[in-house]
Amino acid sequence: MRPLVIVPAHNEEECLPRTLGELAREAPGLDVVVVDDGSRDRTRHVAREAGVKVIVLPVNLGVGGALQTGIRYALERGYDAVVQFDADGQHDPRDLPRVLAPVLEGRADLSIGSRFVSADPAYRATLSRRAGMLLFSGLTSLAVGRRLTDTTSGFRAYGRRVMWLCLDYFPQDFPDAPLLIWLARNGVRWTEVAVTMRPRTAGTSLYTFTRKAYYPYKTLLASLLACWRAPHKEEPIA
Amino acid sequence: MTRAQLIAALIAALVALAVLELVRRRRLSEDFSLLWVLATLGATMLAFWGGLLTGITHLLGAKYETSTIFFFGILFVLVVLLYYAVKLTALIQEVRRLAQEAALLRLKLEEREGEDPSERPGRSA
Repeated sequence: MRPLVIVPAHNEEECLPRTLGELAREAPGLDVVVVDDGSRDRTRHVAREAGVKVIVLPVNLGVGGALQTGIRYALERGYDAVVQFDADGQHDPRDLPRVLAPVLEGRADLSIGSRFVSADPAYRATLSRRAGMLLFSGLTSLAVGRRLTDTTSGFRAYGRRVMWLCLDYFPQDFPDAPLLIWLARNGVRWTEVAVTMRPRTAGTSLYTFTRKAYYPYKTLLASLLACWRAPHKEEPIA
Repeated sequence: MTRAQLIAALIAALVALAVLELVRRRRLSEDFSLLWVLATLGATMLAFWGGLLTGITHLLGAKYETSTIFFFGILFVLVVLLYYAVKLTALIQEVRRLAQEAALLRLKLEEREGEDPSERPGRSA
């Protein structure tokens, strides 16, 4: 099995060198591709200097659009699995083998690195965010019929079947709860793995103020509709 | 024919002409013109056929002819807006797909040429 690590990056010139360096040290031998999501800074250059492949999107598509690009790339080049890994240093590369393991061993098509499987005292979120996370993990758990603790985690591994499905439907700005519900409805076998999340080292969070207000609406609507949408029949053509 | 009917017919004719002219100059596609042509046809019919509006008003159970006009006018605008939103969504999806494809092709090209076109002088990043 050949896995690929996809690092979506939007204006991450400050964090990226460290993240990529750490990846190379802690998870050696893994292919890494950075998807520069229409950055206005030197993201693509610092990524190239780190010696990884860089896909440069001409416009900003959102983290989902960037990931989908990476998944397209992975399928084109014959990778069997992908790991989504944040550029900002939130994810610990030492967790990577554990997130990837269920997919590589064929135990699951989707493996989610969760902050909440085991209590992580280091992780602190604001009250509103905690409430939102609780709401969406509750809703998603209901929809997929099993307890899912962390819907907003950006640390996930996808097997080939999920990669195919992601070409067909992938929320472009927040690939969270609706994606998980839709994948589960397509009979994807998923599992959660305990990981630790660290505070970002620099740059700004995806969840800015305006998006924070919009996020609940969009995610709620998309989640409900994902429950309603008919599962995918055949594998799409790449 | 009342003055109001005459004005309505005139405006409908002007809009119809404008739409046709836009199509002729290829500034408006035939598909997009359909809704507008239908609307102007409707307005012209109402203007020339006085009994039609009264008939529809009775049929709807509305009190005044003006209510009927506003009802259909607003309905028409809403349908047009929704139609545009659907078209926009399709466009967004197409642009996204094209952007992804362009990015992947660019990487392939860079690999083949062994250089990075964005680092050539005279090109802003």
